[in-house]
Amino acid sequence: MKDFRIEREARGNIQLIKLAGSLDMYSFPRLETQINTLFQQNQHAVLLDCRDLDYIGSAGLGALIGFAKQAREKGGDVKLLNVPERIFKIIELLGFTKVLQVHKDEPAALASFSAN
Amino acid sequence: MGDLPKGISVGHTDTEVHVRVVGRGTFQNGQPLRRYALEMMEHGVVQFIVDLGGCDGMDSTFLGVLAGIGLRLTQSNRAGQIHVANVGQRNLELLQTLGLDRLFGMDQPAGRNLHYDAPAGLAFQRLPDSDVTQLSKPLNKSDTADLMLEAHDNLIRADQRNLAKFKDITSFLREKVDKRAGDGHKEK
Repeated sequence: MKDFRIEREARGNIQLIKLAGSLDMYSFPRLETQINTLFQQNQHAVLLDCRDLDYIGSAGLGALIGFAKQAREKGGDVKLLNVPERIFKIIELLGFTKVLQVHKDEPAALASFSAN
Repeated sequence: MGDLPKGISVGHTDTEVHVRVVGRGTFQNGQPLRRYALEMMEHGVVQFIVDLGGCDGMDSTFLGVLAGIGLRLTQSNRAGQIHVANVGQRNLELLQTLGLDRLFGMDQPAGRNLHYDAPAGLAFQRLPDSDVTQLSKPLNKSDTADLMLEAHDNLIRADQRNLAKFKDITSFLREKVDKRAGDGHKEK
């Protein structure tokens, strides 16, 4: 099992968070803290780059729905980028693609925030 | 634990069910364990011992399945209980975070969890489709949503503090399940 890593970069007004390793109940609080901190700073446009993510648990996915909902209320969103096929199948199976936007291309994902 | 098969293996005596989790316990292999546990409870077995010595991690759905077994056993009026044993630090913290250490028989006052060896000679069988790295068929959407909803409801029943953690996922899943019931059909 790979350790969870998290890095944040700003892309204009959008916060790009790169996730790597295993996002499970044990590691999720680190992402939760990061997102809550951004929301407190009035940063509600968040793009999660999942390219190097090898696992995501059901609680983590469920919590992302809540974050996306909170962000939308403030005119932003929480979206996913570069989701590995194996993880995408899980997200799709659970029906989360209906409430979480998933992108394959960073420029398109970034542009989609201005379309909100 | 390196030589044990990945997945969930089970064995039982007349009075106890022994469960061994090797690898991850997730929503993908929670269903076979749930079904097996219900079957054994119908046969009157009310003591479950879950060996987590080889368990790399559990998601909330799997923990909710274990909580559901524990809740049924404690409410069965037959002095049943689920015991978890050989719990590593990471899994111990998960159990404590969700308040499940109080539901499962753990030697908390002494600050350590139960050490356990399966009874000598007990035959274990791996539950079908319990190795999440080698599932033979795609999961069914409806069954998975039902399982996840029930599991997260169990976590909330086990400890009301979990409501805040899981309100988003339960409300999303309940809406989905209710919509399906209203539509009168099951998604494949």
